[in-house]
Amino acid sequence: MNPVNTKSEGEHYLWVDTSRCIGCFSCEVACKMEHELPAGPRPIMVIQIGPVEHEGEMILTYQPATCLHCNSPACVEACPTGAMQKRADGLVFSEAEICIGCQRCAIACPFGIPQLNPGTGKISKCDGCADRVEKGLSPACVLSCPTEALSFMTPTKKAQRIREQFSQRILQSGAGR
Amino acid sequence: MNLRLFDRYSGTRKKHERWVRTVCQECSLRCGLIAYLKNGGIVDIHGDDDHPVSRGRLCARGLAFVQGIVSPERITCPAFRKSLQEPFTAMEDWEKALDWYAERLRKIKDQHGAESIFIGCDPEADLDFAIGATRFAVLLGTPHVYHPFDFPQIPSQFPWPPYPASPCYEWGHSKCLFLIEADLAATHPVAFGWVLEAQQHGAKIIAADTRFTRTLSKADLPLRIRPNSGNVLGLALMKIVLENPGPHDDIAQARFNNPEKWRASFDQLSWEDMKNALGLTPESLKELQDLLRGNLPTTIVTGRNLAAFEGYGVWPTLVSAKGWGGTKGGGWYPLESTTPPLNPCRGIADRSTEKVPQGKETQAPGILKELRERVKKGEVRARAILCAGDCLGDFLSFFQGLEKRPDLMATFGSFPNITQELSHLVFPAAIWAEKSGLCFSNDRAIHWAEKILEPRPGCRSGLDFWLGLAKRFGWAEAFPWIKEDGSADHRSFYQWVVEGSPVLKGFQLDRLKDQNQAPDPGFWSLRVTMEGDGKIEPTPAPKTVGSPAPALDREHFPLYFQKIPFVSRSGTIGRYWPWTQNLEEEDAVQINPETARALHIENGDAILISSPVGTMEGRAWISRMVPPWMVASPKNSEEDWVLVHKKDQTGDEALTLLKEFLP
Repeated sequence: MNPVNTKSEGEHYLWVDTSRCIGCFSCEVACKMEHELPAGPRPIMVIQIGPVEHEGEMILTYQPATCLHCNSPACVEACPTGAMQKRADGLVFSEAEICIGCQRCAIACPFGIPQLNPGTGKISKCDGCADRVEKGLSPACVLSCPTEALSFMTPTKKAQRIREQFSQRILQSGAGR
Repeated sequence: MNLRLFDRYSGTRKKHERWVRTVCQECSLRCGLIAYLKNGGIVDIHGDDDHPVSRGRLCARGLAFVQGIVSPERITCPAFRKSLQEPFTAMEDWEKALDWYAERLRKIKDQHGAESIFIGCDPEADLDFAIGATRFAVLLGTPHVYHPFDFPQIPSQFPWPPYPASPCYEWGHSKCLFLIEADLAATHPVAFGWVLEAQQHGAKIIAADTRFTRTLSKADLPLRIRPNSGNVLGLALMKIVLENPGPHDDIAQARFNNPEKWRASFDQLSWEDMKNALGLTPESLKELQDLLRGNLPTTIVTGRNLAAFEGYGVWPTLVSAKGWGGTKGGGWYPLESTTPPLNPCRGIADRSTEKVPQGKETQAPGILKELRERVKKGEVRARAILCAGDCLGDFLSFFQGLEKRPDLMATFGSFPNITQELSHLVFPAAIWAEKSGLCFSNDRAIHWAEKILEPRPGCRSGLDFWLGLAKRFGWAEAFPWIKEDGSADHRSFYQWVVEGSPVLKGFQLDRLKDQNQAPDPGFWSLRVTMEGDGKIEPTPAPKTVGSPAPALDREHFPLYFQKIPFVSRSGTIGRYWPWTQNLEEEDAVQINPETARALHIENGDAILISSPVGTMEGRAWISRMVPPWMVASPKNSEEDWVLVHKKDQTGDEALTLLKEFLP
């Protein structure tokens, strides 16, 4: 389970639980609808891994990959116009009005996150749904996820959720009796 | 601003003038959705948090359909041409197009008989088109109506389970969920969310399928079985229960008619045959039985294809015998059997009772294969074909490329497709989001689905189409659902549907239609319709079970072909939704790495899939999801057994390579 920091205040994080991801791509389409993107760029991208055989068992997993909003983002350093920026709250975003579509950020990013939007000729990447979050709404990808593989909450809340789930499992197994 | 502590909070940031609460009709789960509109267009969509089944979730299809509505390639006016070599000419209006069509259809009926007229309905056309088609066919006198909806006339007949599973939001009460040839994670992701939730609460997940599917990847016990042998698994479990009943198994309580005769039918089933048909080891079967023995209640989820194979009735029988029915989290959940029992020919069937088309029978692959053979031999000749959607690109593909083409081909659809390419006349169809109506779900829920927006100018509903055509044939009284302005009255039509179904009596359309309230779907159950002593007829075991029908020519076509669900809609319609089309290749063909290596095929290679009835192109997707003797694709193949080879490789070369590799 990887916490992806989308909020430097240490409050809300995007949590990715690959054990619950089923590769339905709902997050990808919700992102496109929210940001009015064409088919090409995928700010969040679900990658199928496997199936591979491991100790006689088949393993198939899906990994939703999106911007990690790095503390020292290479994309920001590489941007020649200042379009790629890191906000005070930690979110890394590209300002469309300034972006010239040179894709230096795409090359600089070690995870290949920024992608060119062929419709606008500008870079598109995850901005953490900042406009939604500022209105108190969940990021679009989280909202549509059918299995709660993606969630958006504070570490405190997440820890509470993990404890609840663990307790439920103990209760269901009968070990608590 | 300070963020509240929230798990998820829905809504839109986009400016809008109004919103509509409705249900998604992209699959049989019917998730609740909220659509936001501005200037007559959809600006945002999210799931309806108050919907009991979907809880605010939507899958990729439930979002991407918006692109289809506004697609610049949509068909928006009737068009005709005299021959297939000519381009289409737009017609001034629908009424003239219907006049033109009715006149020619009548001539064909007079010259060649009504039975030379065929009607195909694909799911794009919805229930109103399918019911209208069935009524029109009866009045016309043709038995040739092929559609995906079932109209069982007798409620007690399966697949209507006497002990239906509780809705999926109660699966958290299950101790075990057993999915057979049901890749719920791929076809109904929102429902699969409930499977994972049940698993989190301690339920065991068992999944049986031929491919290693998304669903199998999350199962506690994944079982790889031979193709189409799911029902054999049910028969094997039933035999185990009869031979070694567990502490909870009580056949006497199952309220079966003639239990002795039914028991005897299982005595003659051979374990050896079943193991061969399933391809499972005795250890796997034992592990399965152990999981099912100790876990109550259990929900059985069966895939759509199982209904076409022998032994399907074992599932409700097993559920009854194990006592899983009638409890929260227990029962039988057959996918895609959403339409409640109803007689589409009510009020007119007395004119031609013996020709009422039976939906279930026409859907059996055997019936379609038999029709294909008769068509190809010239024993049956279609002079006129009318299709909704892309039937000729799908289950009626054998009508393509015939030497003797139909004299009149017409299509009722929303997008260009193969059927349209072969048509003389095109009628533009409204999409589900553009029309209000009743819809039914896997969970036995009945919803009033409010239209999100008005139909694109020039597009009409299926009911509008049949009303217009029936009027021209003088059968208006058989289609009485008409408003003063001449358009279809969908409210009175669906009122007629509700009143005609024995399981829907008591539902109030007005209550269901109150869309501004929290969604309150009604849930119907067949239990209320059981009459007499309430006993059910258990389905006996077939005399033998075997592997899927072997290929006529396995020597030349050694690989098993399976059609698989993808994220986007199957068929050509997916092309008009770029968001989902972009995610997976529509012509991808899954090939096991060992098979690919033997054939010198690499990922992404252009390949050919040959069968005794033709060849189609594809692109290799090398994956262990399929076993070495199998290939799988979202494309449809008429034959189950095929040969795969690279484009620059001959079939003989590929066969030689495969012979060294496959047993």
